[in-house]
Amino acid sequence: MLMLAGIVIVHLTAIILLLVATIDNAWWTTDALSTDLWGRWELINSAWHYTNLKDYPEEYLQAVQATSVLACIFSILALFVFVAQLFTLPKGQRFTFTGVLQLLACLCIMIAASIYTAEFHTSESGAYGHSYILAWISFVLTLLLAITYLVLRKKSEDSVFERGDVA
Amino acid sequence: MLTLVALASLLVLAAVPKPSEAIVIYTGWERHALVGSDVRLSCSFFSWRWTSEDVSFSWTYRPDGSRDSISIFHYTRGMAYLDNKGPFRDRLEFLGDPSRRDGSILLKNLEFSDNGTFTCDAKNPPDIVGRASSVRLLVFEKVPIQAGVITGSIIGAVLGLLLLIVVIYYLMRFLVARRVFSLSVSKHGKKKKEGSQQRQGSAPPADTAKPKASEKKKLESRKERK
Repeated sequence: MLMLAGIVIVHLTAIILLLVATIDNAWWTTDALSTDLWGRWELINSAWHYTNLKDYPEEYLQAVQATSVLACIFSILALFVFVAQLFTLPKGQRFTFTGVLQLLACLCIMIAASIYTAEFHTSESGAYGHSYILAWISFVLTLLLAITYLVLRKKSEDSVFERGDVA
Repeated sequence: MLTLVALASLLVLAAVPKPSEAIVIYTGWERHALVGSDVRLSCSFFSWRWTSEDVSFSWTYRPDGSRDSISIFHYTRGMAYLDNKGPFRDRLEFLGDPSRRDGSILLKNLEFSDNGTFTCDAKNPPDIVGRASSVRLLVFEKVPIQAGVITGSIIGAVLGLLLLIVVIYYLMRFLVARRVFSLSVSKHGKKKKEGSQQRQGSAPPADTAKPKASEKKKLESRKERK
């Protein structure tokens, strides 16, 4: 029971981190700049101004946007499928569908963060913002969750989880 | 209801301009083109009068950021006069057909300095009162991808693929289960034919009982495989 609650909490945390990483425009920051993936915040005369992104490699930017949104979608879908499989899976079976969806989410956010690291701000001065860091943290979380879902088996309706070696 | 319709039709009739009222000129709103390519700027008009022999078209150009316009094209009395001194010399061509009320021109070999507003003014005597229409020309180095097209298509493609895989997976399971079901029915059917002469009376109830039993087996095997 405790394990079930723990796993659900970690999954919810991963979803929240993914959403913050995708929505908040803070993949790259300097003292007066906070930018990507959707717009650019600039501090001009002590007031923040929002502008569109210009002079970016357009295809890579849209690929990063698409994969980070997909990671959020897959992670949320995995939560719903997990709850559904809790009630429909027969005893002794693994949560494969949930694990596969969570693995896809992990793959997508990894692709997003990798493309971003390789193609953007390669020769500028500044620092990676909190959205970027959260993207990598949620990559780790989703990977661990995916492995968990693919390894654990359902025990029975009242004491849901058990280790993988039980027949 | 009827009075409302009558009032509305009266208003519409009153709004329709009488003959020799304004001439209406149509051009595009914006044109996008690549540097070095050719672009056609179309201009046509609507007038209640027949197209006269003295119909005239004139195009003027105002560069981006400038307040002055210069005249670059004029057609009158069957003769087209193209720019021979200004920024478009040797780069203009008249494509229109004035008898068909078309006053389009072709701009060749575009440069970045051609960004600006082109205004077409057409006159169809005696219908000369009208407002000139403008089209904005934007010259690009490469055609920009519209915002969000790639994003949307990646998301749509991946989700569609996932949906397809899930549907195919459940379809395969359904078909395999049905094949097992139909095999077991045919087996029971053969047995029934062999013993039909002896068991004709009791055949129908046995028939309905056996498919139910094999369906139960199928459900159990499905759950086990899950």
